[in-house]
Amino acid sequence: MIQRKVSIILENKPGALVRVVGLFHQRGYNIESLHVDPVNDLTEYKYVEKNLNIKLKKGEVSHLIISTTVNDNLLRQILRQINKLIDVLIAEEVK
Amino acid sequence: MKLAGNDILIQSLINEDVEYIFGYPGGAALHIYDAIFKQNKMEHILVRHEQGATHAADGYARATGKPGVVLVTSGPGATNAITGIATAFMDSIPMVVISGQVAKHLIGTDAFQETDMIGISRPIVKHSFTVESAENIPEIVKQAFYIATSGRPGPVVIDVPKDTTAPDKLFEFNYPNKVNIRSYSPPIDPEKNQIERAVEAIISSEKPVIYAGGGAINSNASSELIKLNEILDFPVTNTLMGLGVYPATDPRFLGMLGMHGTYQANMAMHNADLIIAIGARFDDRITNTPKLFAPNAKIIHFDVDHSSVSKIIEANIAVFGQVKNSLNEIIKLCELKKEMINTKKISSWKNQIEEWKKSHGLNHDMYLENSDDSTIMPQAVVQHVYNITKGKAFVTSDVGQHQMFAAQYYHFDEPRKWINSGGLGTMGFGLPSAMGVKLAFPNDEVVCITGEGSIQMCIQELSTCTQYNLPIKIININNEALGMVKQWQDMNYGGRHSESTYQSSLPNFIELVESYGHVGIKIEKNSDLKSQLERAFSLKDKLVFVDVYVDPDEHVYPMLVAPNGSLKDMWLDKETKT
Ligand SMILES: Cc1ncc(C[n+]2csc(CCOP(=O)(O)OP(=O)(O)O)c2C)c(N)n1
Ligand SMILES: [Mg+2]
Repeated sequence: MIQRKVSIILENKPGALVRVVGLFHQRGYNIESLHVDPVNDLTEYKYVEKNLNIKLKKGEVSHLIISTTVNDNLLRQILRQINKLIDVLIAEEVK
Repeated sequence: MKLAGNDILIQSLINEDVEYIFGYPGGAALHIYDAIFKQNKMEHILVRHEQGATHAADGYARATGKPGVVLVTSGPGATNAITGIATAFMDSIPMVVISGQVAKHLIGTDAFQETDMIGISRPIVKHSFTVESAENIPEIVKQAFYIATSGRPGPVVIDVPKDTTAPDKLFEFNYPNKVNIRSYSPPIDPEKNQIERAVEAIISSEKPVIYAGGGAINSNASSELIKLNEILDFPVTNTLMGLGVYPATDPRFLGMLGMHGTYQANMAMHNADLIIAIGARFDDRITNTPKLFAPNAKIIHFDVDHSSVSKIIEANIAVFGQVKNSLNEIIKLCELKKEMINTKKISSWKNQIEEWKKSHGLNHDMYLENSDDSTIMPQAVVQHVYNITKGKAFVTSDVGQHQMFAAQYYHFDEPRKWINSGGLGTMGFGLPSAMGVKLAFPNDEVVCITGEGSIQMCIQELSTCTQYNLPIKIININNEALGMVKQWQDMNYGGRHSESTYQSSLPNFIELVESYGHVGIKIEKNSDLKSQLERAFSLKDKLVFVDVYVDPDEHVYPMLVAPNGSLKDMWLDKETKT
């Protein structure tokens, strides 16, 4: 098992972050590091707009990066669980 | 039109075609209750405990397919609803729970009856909302109903601070007719190449089994499943949650699988070379030890929820989409390729299954065999109920041995007729869920098969049944013990019955139900069983509570051997293991 980084774009709304963090605990996954920022510069986030066919506004979403040590299967499961959260736009592994 | 927040909330529910709202009032919800009083489009059902409200709404949802709606006050009202929300969550039942909350300026101050409902319910809801202003209510209600009912359904909580429903502040009311949540788009139609791969696997299989669960019911895919199997002609098993999605009286039906599944269903799964999983999630009560599960089987998994696929058992072919739509696609392709199905090999596979059934299948005629003076067998009670109701009743259940006997011996030919808490296993579910079903289907027979342990967990709802005149039939399979616990203690703890009996403290159920205005019938003799059950069902407009004393030492079999067993490892009776 190696440490992986998961990148999550989620709505910048009260309660959205805690759903992601809570999910790690509920499902028994460990969070080793966590970083979150509101997205003010959208230039690097064009792919989100393209993938979902939406237009983002400044500060409307947050970018969350979590590192965790898991195997491939569990990582896939974590990503699927996070993507299921209603406030999450995209969750993927940072390669 | 200008309305106050409390009226906006109620009008929004009316716009969602809500016919019943199950609830219990209290301080933080009083503005909302006043709005309920002023309208007559939606009926409020006053339960006796908020757990009852959630289970009743849940029963309504399971029977109708429409979302169940609950209204509770803040603090204890909200926390009392938690068990019912968790029950709905585990079984993917659409539900919208509106909880009152203290006014916004009091939040975080430990105000009277303040509790963090959003926080407490977070792990057991599909999503939740806090109302910030009355203006947002229509949008939130619209989204809540959409989220609760689409994709993989589930409960949604709307927490409503009291000030947002104040009657003295008016807002423009416009109910949205469309909903769009940019971060939420559950799959609907399957990918074509997955369907093609699934059909390839189907035509090359020699020992196939269809394994369908609650997801197929949620997707209303019963008729598609039947149609598919008219082409395939494969053996079918259902999970506890899936009973009824495939007709139990169809000769291809193997019965339920899993922990207390039939011998033939478990053996067929274990020895299969192809398992077609349809809206089923390989729960631990199904797989037994996952690494020993169906060692030679390829898995095709139809599901709407990505996270359910390859979670426990790796799927070789995953078909994401609404199960109904996916089945419609596969039906088309199977129709074209049906000549290629290996009917010859499959026919010897079916013979093998028939042999299994003959050797250790369930005895569905137990009721005929017991003599007048023998103790009453719980299985025979269910068999009589099945015969008397002609297999057409809605049957709700609680949790324990009686639940398993009901699942094994009542043959459900239609979906949404078997209503039970499969995932959470919530004792207390049976009676209130039956109320929800009876309200939705007043002209149908609604039976609650329960145990003397479970019924006491929500017995207060007998009073609700009086108020709303709900003539359900309660069959209390009374073994004077927490039978399922006792069975485990017999099997795994040397027969030490730690806290699983009541030391003669049970109430007189007959007097108890009579005090609520219902009819009680006590059955202690096998010779009375059939006639007294018939009498109970002949009292059409009465709630009848049948207290039937059964063999206290009976166990439920088959039972999977755990830990470290596979699906072929079963106890067949108290002495025999496979
Ligand atoms: C709320 C709740 N508490 C505890 C349990 C654990 N439990 C499972 S079955 C059972 C016994 C149920 O007794 P009864 O309702 O009389 O049914 P029986 O098994 O005797 O038919 C218990 C305590 C549970 N499922 N739900
Ligand atoms: Mg009991």
